[in-house]
Amino acid sequence: MTDKTATPEQMDGPVLKVTDLTQQVNLEADTLTILQGVSLEINRGESVAIVGRSGSGKTTLLGLLAGLDTPSHGEVELEGRVISRLSEDERAALRARRIGFVFQSFQLLPALTALENVMLPLELAGSERADGKARELLERVGLGDRLRHTPRQLSGGEQQRVAIARAFASEPAILFADEPTGNLDNRTGRSISDLLMDLNHEQGTTLVMVTHDEQLAGRCQRRFSIEAGIVTEPGAEAHTEVVN
Amino acid sequence: MGAAGKLMSVQRDWRERDVRVVLVALVIAVATVATIALFASQLQRTLVTSASSFLAADRQLEAENGRPVPGEWLEEARARGLETGQMIEFSTMVFGNDRFQLVSAKAVSNEYPLRGQIEFQQQPAAPRVMRDEGPGPGEVWLNPRLLRLLDVSVGDSLEIGNRSLTITGLLVREPDGGFRLSALAPRLMMHADDVDSTGVLQEGSRVEHVYLFAGDSAALDGYYDWLKPRLEPSHEWEGVRDGETFSQSLQRAEQFLLLGGSLAVLLSAVAVAVASRQYAISQRDTVALLKTLGSPGGAIAGMYLRRLGLWGMAGILGGLALALPLYWVLANLLSEALARPVDIRVDPGALVPALLTALVSLFAFAYPPIRRLRSVPAMRVLRSQPGESGREALPDLLIAVSAMFGLVWLYARALPMVLAVFGGLLLLLGVLALIGWVLVSVLRRIRGGGQSWRLALVGLYRHRRASLSQLAVFSLTLMLAATLVLVRTSLLDDWQAQLPEDAPNHFLINIPTQTVDEIEAFWSERGYPMENFYPMVRGRLTELNGEAVKEAVSKDQRVSALNRELNMTWMESLPEDNRIIEGEWFSPGDTQGVSVEAELADKLGLKPGDRLTFTVGSDKVTETVTSIRTVQWDSMKPNFYMAFPPGGGLEGMPATWITSFYLPDNAKSILNEFSRQYPTVSVLEIDHIIARIQEIVGQVTQAIEAILVLVLAAALVVMAAVVSTTLRDRQREGALLRTLGARQALLVRSTMLEFALLGLIAGLVGTMAAEGAVWALQYGMFEGAFRWHWQVAVPIPLISAAVLAFLGRWQLLPVLRVSPMLMLRRLE
Ligand SMILES: Nc1ncnc2c1ncn2[C@@H]1O[C@H](COP(=O)(O)OP(=O)(O)OP(=O)(O)O)[C@@H](O)[C@H]1O
Ligand SMILES: [Mg+2]
Repeated sequence: MTDKTATPEQMDGPVLKVTDLTQQVNLEADTLTILQGVSLEINRGESVAIVGRSGSGKTTLLGLLAGLDTPSHGEVELEGRVISRLSEDERAALRARRIGFVFQSFQLLPALTALENVMLPLELAGSERADGKARELLERVGLGDRLRHTPRQLSGGEQQRVAIARAFASEPAILFADEPTGNLDNRTGRSISDLLMDLNHEQGTTLVMVTHDEQLAGRCQRRFSIEAGIVTEPGAEAHTEVVN
Repeated sequence: MGAAGKLMSVQRDWRERDVRVVLVALVIAVATVATIALFASQLQRTLVTSASSFLAADRQLEAENGRPVPGEWLEEARARGLETGQMIEFSTMVFGNDRFQLVSAKAVSNEYPLRGQIEFQQQPAAPRVMRDEGPGPGEVWLNPRLLRLLDVSVGDSLEIGNRSLTITGLLVREPDGGFRLSALAPRLMMHADDVDSTGVLQEGSRVEHVYLFAGDSAALDGYYDWLKPRLEPSHEWEGVRDGETFSQSLQRAEQFLLLGGSLAVLLSAVAVAVASRQYAISQRDTVALLKTLGSPGGAIAGMYLRRLGLWGMAGILGGLALALPLYWVLANLLSEALARPVDIRVDPGALVPALLTALVSLFAFAYPPIRRLRSVPAMRVLRSQPGESGREALPDLLIAVSAMFGLVWLYARALPMVLAVFGGLLLLLGVLALIGWVLVSVLRRIRGGGQSWRLALVGLYRHRRASLSQLAVFSLTLMLAATLVLVRTSLLDDWQAQLPEDAPNHFLINIPTQTVDEIEAFWSERGYPMENFYPMVRGRLTELNGEAVKEAVSKDQRVSALNRELNMTWMESLPEDNRIIEGEWFSPGDTQGVSVEAELADKLGLKPGDRLTFTVGSDKVTETVTSIRTVQWDSMKPNFYMAFPPGGGLEGMPATWITSFYLPDNAKSILNEFSRQYPTVSVLEIDHIIARIQEIVGQVTQAIEAILVLVLAAALVVMAAVVSTTLRDRQREGALLRTLGARQALLVRSTMLEFALLGLIAGLVGTMAAEGAVWALQYGMFEGAFRWHWQVAVPIPLISAAVLAFLGRWQLLPVLRVSPMLMLRRLE
């Protein structure tokens, strides 16, 4: 397997390796199993789509892959490090340097303007020119004239684009996106897909996204399907051919 | 109401955090204000009772003209439900065991004393007991000194005029004795019915009829209104308030309670206001939703009014459920400290301010923003900025401030105080506006410092909208708390300064000039050196600028000092606690002039340059007024109306000397030895009065501390409530920052720093405004001089910074405990 963006200090092998992942939550009466025995590998620079019905566990899986949560059983290995064995601070450091996340519900801070929302990760990283970078990014998602507006004043699609700009801000090695085009019309959706794919190609960013958008899923190199907590990869052989 | 009705239910309301905060604020508001008001009314009754015992009644009517008052005056008092009593004070010669002695007699009716108790001894060696009535007809009680002077014992008989009375005990202390130096002569107490049969009271003898009244204050006031037009200039109506020595201390304590209560009202109003306003604003989306579901504006407004009313009731019930037991505990504590406890009573009038505070602040703050939404299209509400714009909030602020002003006014009814507090408030708002500007314009440009520091500053700037309103409430809260702390401190300091532990508690009077040195040696040998001996000459003021004083001073000016002999002295230097307010004190070597006490000078209209003529025995002295000076009558030191320079007008006049000193309880036996050695020197023991005052001051201090604690606790709750209004936002932000890769330590440090900064600013602004308010208060009420109080101005900002940092840390707890994903899901 080749990895076109591997730099000397980065190890070879899958960027994400999931073994026997199970996620359960304890409800009042019984235990709800959301994910069961998920195993998969994702290589550096790949673009991956996760599809499945509402409530099938896509967001849960994405959160676990990104290290935003720890699993009940099993392991997630991100760039060779087992996430559940890291301390919360180590996980945070990993997120800050390597990971971007676009939430399904955007998770913009209502009190902050669009610009301030995008500046947040840059400030956390101690970036000197947070302001300039954030402006550029918002410009790129087509919101250059809405910098001072708060999320309430933006439409759903506009909020989504702010969330994407924020995820790009830290120049992540892996970008997780939970239905990044879910609220967008075809044209805007297309331009956002282009944006994501460009990033994947130009910077070699690994892309993992949940989507219902067949077109976007089709542009991804691999596709996982999730049903009742069980993950399968329907076109696995075909995929191997594609990579080769 | 359809949709609206279904959307709202009490259980559902309770699940809403903002509603819970409103209810908690209401409960605290009602509890604090009600407890303080109830306790204040209890304390006031206690103080009046304690103080009444100094008059042996609630009020006294003194007739200094030597004639009894018309009988109908007393009948009227009894008809109004007042208790009455009578006493007759006069000087007379008595004869017992072959000796004559001039005594000051006090004849009392059966009812005496209406308040307080008489300390009594059966025999000189018997234990002291408290009695509720004086001697019966045919009996007489003597003070121990008179017993020694006459060399008689209990059981002997004593001749007064035509009567012979039996000595049945020793009068140790009268409740109403004390400060008057005229009461220094050997003392005797007898029954009022025996006075006529002695025949000692002739036309023109110096006698004072004193009438005692007790009852509830409304009846007393009503009676005085009736009596006032009938009084002659020689009649003096005395109440506790305008009475003697420590009435000032009492007034200050009452003022303090009033202030504490007012501040509690304000604080509670703020708590309810913040909570209910936050609730109102959080309801914007719901209101918009209801509109899209088709509810008419009127129905929505009506529904919210009903809910606010419901919560008001719930809050009031909860608050009272807290306040009543709390009051009961406090009142019991107070009663335990008292010799004669007052009934614990729930005064319904004291509950009114609490209820009004809760309801007014609830509606005045919550309703306007909701009402305004009635006419705004739903979509515009949903798309508007979170929070409110200044233009919208300004009329609300005006309504709110007037509501608060009204509440405090209603509670205190003291304009200077209300103005001082609101002046401080204004100052505070001004400074806050300035800080807001600084926050917006300067904070962004600050560079450098560690990452937490930078994030904290960015945070402050980012949250400027929320931060500023929180800052306003914090600093208001701290201002109120600091005001109370400051006033308490200066009050206690003043009391402490006025009555130190070793305040003089014994006077030696009538010391012959030739024994002054001997007596000083007597006490020095025993370890109690005397501070100062003052000569004392007693005389009357007879002429003013050559005119007889009776004509010079108009009749309706009741100057009782003119009817008595004045205490006059000569001294070289001005006593420490006296102050010259007009003219100049004598220069060394001066032998001319006289310095007059300020109140008397005021009553007589004296100015420097007036010529006064005094009659001392058969001599006359005329001197020019050279200065007017204030005297601390409650300093427990010898004080004089008239002071001459050494070698001046009083030169050669018959003088005795007077001194005061501190004698601890365990050394009192020396007094017996002293009295045996110097039987003509009067010893005035005021240690019990001082102890009593110290006890009262102690009780009041405790009460003040309790109220301070209550108000501070309320302040803390307000701050916690305010922090919790933005809890969700803060937690979401924390969780999000974590997903973006913020380390826990960074999150904790920057949040704590941000809150600490907020607390520090609020503390500084608050104490500054408090100093302003206290400065104004002190001129209006407490008459103290302005001081900058570092002991408050330094710790309060620090404490508030610490408390807020802690609150900031506390709200992060759940964010740090669960995974960011779960936190975000929960906050969705
Ligand atoms: N902490 C939790 N407590 C209870 N149930 C949970 C929790 N987390 C997830 N679930 C449940 O697990 C299931 C999967 O949730 P998840 O959000 O992963 O679905 P999804 O595939 O992203 O759905 P959608 O396409 O609608 O976003 C849902 O039924 C959800 O209610
Ligand atoms: Mg989902």
